[in-house]
Amino acid sequence: MENDLIYVYCISDCPLGIAQNVKSKDLKSLKFDDFYVIVKYVSEREFSEDNFKRNLSNIQWVETNAREHISVIGMIMEYTTVIPFKFGTIYNTKVGLQKFITDYSVSLIENFNHIRDKEEWAVKVYCDRKALSDQIDQLSEKAADLEKQIMASSPGKAFLLGRKKTELIDDEMNLLCKDYGQNYFDEFNSLSESARLCNLLPKEYTGREDTMILNATFLVRKDKAPDFTDTLKKKNEHSDFIIEATGPWPPFSFISIKEKQ
Amino acid sequence: MYDNVIDRSKDITILELLDRVLNKGVILTGDIVITVADIDLVYVGVKLMLSSVETMEQLKSGKSIAEK
Repeated sequence: MENDLIYVYCISDCPLGIAQNVKSKDLKSLKFDDFYVIVKYVSEREFSEDNFKRNLSNIQWVETNAREHISVIGMIMEYTTVIPFKFGTIYNTKVGLQKFITDYSVSLIENFNHIRDKEEWAVKVYCDRKALSDQIDQLSEKAADLEKQIMASSPGKAFLLGRKKTELIDDEMNLLCKDYGQNYFDEFNSLSESARLCNLLPKEYTGREDTMILNATFLVRKDKAPDFTDTLKKKNEHSDFIIEATGPWPPFSFISIKEKQ
Repeated sequence: MYDNVIDRSKDITILELLDRVLNKGVILTGDIVITVADIDLVYVGVKLMLSSVETMEQLKSGKSIAEK
């Protein structure tokens, strides 16, 4: 039988008044208890366990479907609060999905209360290490002291101290980047309800020449979001660091589902 | 409303997208779910794709791979 697997996008706790949009994407809203689960019936040809895992090695397939995943959740999020599901969560039957809803209903309600009227923003801050190292004598007392010693030394000693300074600059730069990253995090965190630090991504993934010094997500109240984004913009205008923000996202990073005790 | 600091979700990179949808949200439920090993596999694909994009850009800018 075609299209009998259930692909889950998200859960809402309100009935959806977006029939036309839902219809256009073959989406269905299944009601279990007080929850509305947004799903699509998908084919085994594409989403059976074996076929799905095979498709994951096709990055174009992954990108197309991951973009659809986020776009469906984003569309629902415009109308109501949603708990987003991880990409590729599939149930064989409605009974299995209903059991999940029943087993986790208390936790689902807690999560809805936590994320209601809030949205997720992702912030990445990058540093041009070359530009920072050019200012190192102004930024690091240790580097400035060593520079004074170099200036007052004989050529031979100055050469050796110069090599020492090269090593010191690297350590000092790492400390500075950590401090700047922390300061940015603290400032943005003060404008949010909750925050999560993510791993810093190496250049091979970012495809950028500069260095990532902060990768974080923030849960921001919708009525405070303009303040949050204005602060980001102002910080970006008046700093040597590049701030990149994306959002508003469904609150992917702030969902924590716990099984009923 | 938003300037270049803030990207709308439509313009996001694949990395930013996958970082959210693969690793977060309601996880560890469903009859079929993506495992950690599956996620690693997806990121291998991303890395290959990004490196081939880099190669394409080098070719377009007239640099050969040997100059890398």
